[in-house]
Amino acid sequence: MSEAAAQPVRRHGLNVRICHWINVIAVGYLLVSGVHIFLDFPELYWGKVGFRGHPAAFRLADWGISWEQAGAWGDRRWGRNYHFTFAWVFVLNGLVYVAWSLARRHFRRRMLPGRDPAPAVGGAPTPRYRTAQGISYLTMIFVVTPLMFLTGIAQMPAFTAIAPWLIDLFGGRQTARTIHVILTAIFVLFALVHVGQVIATGFLRNVRSMITGRAPLPQE
Amino acid sequence: MSNESSPKLITSRRRFLMGAAGLSGLIVTGCDAETASSLLPPTRRGGLVGLADRLTMASQRLLMANQPLAQEHDPRDITRDFPTWGETNPEDEEYQRLLAGGFEEWRLEVGGLVNTPTTLSLSQLKGMKRRTQITSHICEQGWSAIGEWTGTPLTEVLAVAGGLQPEARYVVVTAFDGWYEGFDRFDVEHPQTILAYGLNGRDLPRGNGAPVRLRVERHCGYKHLKFVKSIEAVASMEHIGRGTGGINSDWGFHWYAGA
Repeated sequence: MSEAAAQPVRRHGLNVRICHWINVIAVGYLLVSGVHIFLDFPELYWGKVGFRGHPAAFRLADWGISWEQAGAWGDRRWGRNYHFTFAWVFVLNGLVYVAWSLARRHFRRRMLPGRDPAPAVGGAPTPRYRTAQGISYLTMIFVVTPLMFLTGIAQMPAFTAIAPWLIDLFGGRQTARTIHVILTAIFVLFALVHVGQVIATGFLRNVRSMITGRAPLPQE
Repeated sequence: MSNESSPKLITSRRRFLMGAAGLSGLIVTGCDAETASSLLPPTRRGGLVGLADRLTMASQRLLMANQPLAQEHDPRDITRDFPTWGETNPEDEEYQRLLAGGFEEWRLEVGGLVNTPTTLSLSQLKGMKRRTQITSHICEQGWSAIGEWTGTPLTEVLAVAGGLQPEARYVVVTAFDGWYEGFDRFDVEHPQTILAYGLNGRDLPRGNGAPVRLRVERHCGYKHLKFVKSIEAVASMEHIGRGTGGINSDWGFHWYAGA
């Protein structure tokens, strides 16, 4: 490691760091509680209706986990209580993050594709994310997450009265539920790749920078 | 029939808009009883889960301040083979006796804080003003089906009993399978809240709650009690079950089931 690269640089602002760790907790709870809810009724359908015996788009039983086994694992009471709790944390934290980041021009400065970061001549770091990384972050923040939110509330009975058009927009509440699960898979995939990248580029240094905001950039 | 218990939507809306002003303080402290009864659950759970519970109910109730109807579907969307779930044949001796007699002797008790407590037979109920609605039955587990429900609006039943007394804040429905659930005036006054005796053009099947089940659209299925036995108007639900306002919330599920 060269002398220049070892110099700590400012990598993450306070907004990113605070919101990131709240998000880790919220998404963690949302995932586990969501899996609990799903296990209690482990089938997915397309359209307006879906119930046991209705033609299914996905059945966990086809993957070797019986209805009874899934039901024994899933605790929907715990799941529902914590899913709706951390949904609020996730949404409010997300709104704070987006507002704060817009105010600091975070998305424009660091994520919008412009130019790839200049090669680290002499190890001089640049805070801009690489293009692919920036686009994947923007997609998660402005496409996947809003869709997650909308397909979530489209499943709520109150929204049959508040915004029935939203349910129709997705082609029915069962389709909304199925999309919600597909988006969950995308979230998990993103998290796996993200953590993989964090590990590949120096786990401790990356985690330190997400806590303190300062750490040397990884060497290519 | 008395107009005492008919919906007063404009008054309600004003109340909710006024409530909106003090919402943030209200969710945390739950101070104003009048507004709180429309926006907050009867019992407040602690911690972050309780706070989220209050946020969910208050925000959804504000979005429904003008009492919108739940979506009603086209007849072609009806689920003909409507599923049954949970209890389909209560062991209760009285229920079995009534079932054997074709519910001729079934009587709905309407009591508590109503002006003239009364009982209604099934034929009396069927003779009253009826409402038919094609709505989604949405189980909190994740399944849903669309049924055409026919029944008597709860406001009509309460009107026959002389209307609610001023101090009545909740209506508790009790069923033959041992279930009980409480509803605040916001839901009681809603036009789609009906005591349903018909499903898809026929008498309500036993598996779906014969002779009468509650429809309280805008809530998860577990609030739609089957095998209805009695309804009671109360000022507080502390003396019912474990005091949280329903069997499901006694078990730790949400009392407000709009989410």
